[in-house]
Amino acid sequence: MRIIGETHIPFLSYRKTFVIGSAIVVGAGLVWLIAGLLNPAIPGLRFGIDFTGGTQVLAKFRDNPDLDRLRRSLAAVSPDAPVIQRYDEAEKNEVLIRVQNPSDEQADLTRPIIDRLMTEFNADVGRRFDLNTQGSQALTLLLADADPDGAAVSGADLEQHYAPMAEAVLNYRKDRGIFRSLDELASIPELSASARSAIRERATVGAFALLGVESVGPAVGADLKKAATLAIVLSLLGMLVYVWIRFQLPYGIGAVVALFHDVITTLTALMLTQREINLPTVAALLTLVGFSVNDTVVIFDRVRENLRLHRGERLEEIMDTSINQTLSRTIITSGTVLLVVLPLFLFGGEVINTFAFVLLVGLFIGCYSTVFIASPVALWISRLLGARRERRRARGRR
Amino acid sequence: MDRKIIWRIVIIVAVVATAVYALVARRLPLGLDLSGGIHLVLQVETDDAIKAELDDAALRLKTRAGEKGIALSEWSVDVGALKFQVAVPPNVDRDALRELIGDFLPEYDLDTGSESWSLAFKPNVESTIRDLAVRQALETIRNRVDQFGVAEPVIQRQGIESDRILVQLPGVDDPTRVKEIISHTAFLEWKEVIAGPAPSRDILLARTGGQVPSDSEIATEIRQDESGAVVGKDFYLLRKAAIVTGRDLRTARRGQGQFGEPVVNFYLVPAGGDKFAEFTGAHIGDPAAIVLDGNVISAPVIRSRIRDEGYIEGNFDIETAEDLALSLRAGALPASINYLEERTVGPSLGRDSIVHGVRAGVVGLILVVLFMIVYYKASGLNAVFALLLNVVILLGAMAYFGATLTLPGIAGIILTIGMAVDANVLIFERIREELAVGKTVRSAIDTGFSRAFGTILDSNLTTLIAALFLFQFGTGPVKGFAVTLSIGLLASMFTAVFVSRTLYMLLLASRDRVETLSV
Repeated sequence: MRIIGETHIPFLSYRKTFVIGSAIVVGAGLVWLIAGLLNPAIPGLRFGIDFTGGTQVLAKFRDNPDLDRLRRSLAAVSPDAPVIQRYDEAEKNEVLIRVQNPSDEQADLTRPIIDRLMTEFNADVGRRFDLNTQGSQALTLLLADADPDGAAVSGADLEQHYAPMAEAVLNYRKDRGIFRSLDELASIPELSASARSAIRERATVGAFALLGVESVGPAVGADLKKAATLAIVLSLLGMLVYVWIRFQLPYGIGAVVALFHDVITTLTALMLTQREINLPTVAALLTLVGFSVNDTVVIFDRVRENLRLHRGERLEEIMDTSINQTLSRTIITSGTVLLVVLPLFLFGGEVINTFAFVLLVGLFIGCYSTVFIASPVALWISRLLGARRERRRARGRR
Repeated sequence: MDRKIIWRIVIIVAVVATAVYALVARRLPLGLDLSGGIHLVLQVETDDAIKAELDDAALRLKTRAGEKGIALSEWSVDVGALKFQVAVPPNVDRDALRELIGDFLPEYDLDTGSESWSLAFKPNVESTIRDLAVRQALETIRNRVDQFGVAEPVIQRQGIESDRILVQLPGVDDPTRVKEIISHTAFLEWKEVIAGPAPSRDILLARTGGQVPSDSEIATEIRQDESGAVVGKDFYLLRKAAIVTGRDLRTARRGQGQFGEPVVNFYLVPAGGDKFAEFTGAHIGDPAAIVLDGNVISAPVIRSRIRDEGYIEGNFDIETAEDLALSLRAGALPASINYLEERTVGPSLGRDSIVHGVRAGVVGLILVVLFMIVYYKASGLNAVFALLLNVVILLGAMAYFGATLTLPGIAGIILTIGMAVDANVLIFERIREELAVGKTVRSAIDTGFSRAFGTILDSNLTTLIAALFLFQFGTGPVKGFAVTLSIGLLASMFTAVFVSRTLYMLLLASRDRVETLSV
């Protein structure tokens, strides 16, 4: 089977159109990006709490949560209004609460947020044991203290008797995310009848369970931002140097200009969709950089080989031939990566969604830039540096 | 069969067997984002330790001087300048005091003035104290986590000189409680009650003549009703110098009071017991305040002389009593603690991520396998075999290097599946080209592999460069991703080039003449 047969598309003869078009897109993206960074009023890159610092609580509610009530009750936690939004599918009753840390202070806002939620939604819990927020160790203590089974042991042995039951209860919560009523205890076979009724007597089900908490102080946020920027800049430089050494300077420049194009265009896509940038997003960005240069290197490799085979031909023609010869490979490997990234984007879950989005968008952008940016720029630079000298050196090289 | 082919097969079997063995023997532990758990970066407020040291030195100097008949009353501590100042009244024998300081506080530089002397740390003393505070905090936190019973915790200092401590506790299902236990300073003191309780500061001071004496301090107790809701505050005037403190504790345990309510039983070391017995014997009928981190938790009336054991009541429930006993057993923190970073993943969220990640991975794998077989037919099967070995080697190598499986790590594996066939595609496309120009199967395979190898090396190395920087600058799960991606790429070069080639060699060796190749 064959998707792409032999092609003779004169890619480079369209180079002006594509390079100018891309330059406009990248330029606009760059202006937007810088404007957004300088002026917070412009919705540019949306940095997540990994970089800005802040506190984020993901809670699952027993019943459909009233977001306005949440907003009102959390208003006093921080000077800025907390961001409260639905998470994942609506019927999961999950809510993401995000609070900006007051500037420079090392305040731990997790506790105040949870305390507010408790007073607002769990007022009826009182001193009863909350199956939705407390852990298995605490439940073990409660059972050991009540000792409903009347186990004729004491101390640590008593706790050992009840620990498996408590863990079974918590495992149930692990599976379902939240207890909706005490009746659900009936479907936990590990519980003895007396233990079940002891829990019913002392426990209750609170209005929410905490699925996750992330809190990043401003100092750590600044550190992470610096590290991420360094990682991106240094890996672009690393690619430049590598391609320069393995091929020639014009190719190195061509590859890096294409990568710069990929990064800026993908960031523009992130700005358009207003998706959040966190550490995994940066990881995805670097992966796409690696993947995109991979494609570029394959084409340059072919150019180098063809320069040796077809002496006397113009570089432009050799590049076109090389792009055409590797075209089916470029499309197939991008295709196989697409085959894995698409399921990741569709089924990978909320946590990894932006990560998959960057890879998905970057895959197309990288594929495009390999053909329409990297080679034209390399061609242009090598003409600039003198085509004849260039080819003599390429021939001399083995 | 050719010796060369046998050797190749031996190598492949050895590599795969090692990978499988590593995977079975070492397992691949789940990262915090998948198993659920808590990741904390905390900062030890070493200024607290500096202040405590200065306070302590000033107090000791005053006591020593008093024993020698030198009356020093006023002193002030300046943490920023690393010194404390003592007011020296005109009637004091300056030479005697100077001698005393020289003998007794050798780690201080003395700067004498006419009315006030200042004592500053000598060089290096500051860093020693800060370092000690961090090491003590590390030890205390380790003790507490051990007592709490967390499997495989990570508790380590971030860098040698750093005041940051990294704590990772997998599988914890009640992060709020654990956080509280870790950060609880748990500095317990018993203090003499001079006056109180009173409903407000003013009423309390009215009883003592409007002034807080220099050897006393005001502390408050929070009053709660039956359900645990805060209903008010009581004010106490306490003597500053504690009778005994948490340092005098031998151990502490959760127990039951006379009405079955949760209390904390405490046991003092002999020296502390002596001090306590002396005080309680002399103050039967008076209240004594139990102060935890500066707040009164209860102020029971002393009914009899107590030597080395007693109990603390304080409106506890089972959990808070257990946690306080645990913190007291593990010892007080030498300084307070700030949380710089917290990442908690609840167990259900982690499970969700695994389900999603695995589903996405399986769908992706199936799609890639189908595509390769449809597009390259028998050669596609060859690539699929190489791909499966690649996944096995990747997982085995991760287990061998002690890596943990994180969500970005799963994404890395999925991505590797997509990218690993790249090498096969490069080779197969090349073989097709060679066949198209009329080469024989044997020579098409030879040229295909040798020509494609340089390209594969170049293209994979660039991705490795990106992964390297990601590893260098990334943290936690992102590092996991970088590791997975790197190992995956290296493994794919082995499987796509070496393993696939061997499969072709087997094919060529099995027949005398091979006319066509299914690619």
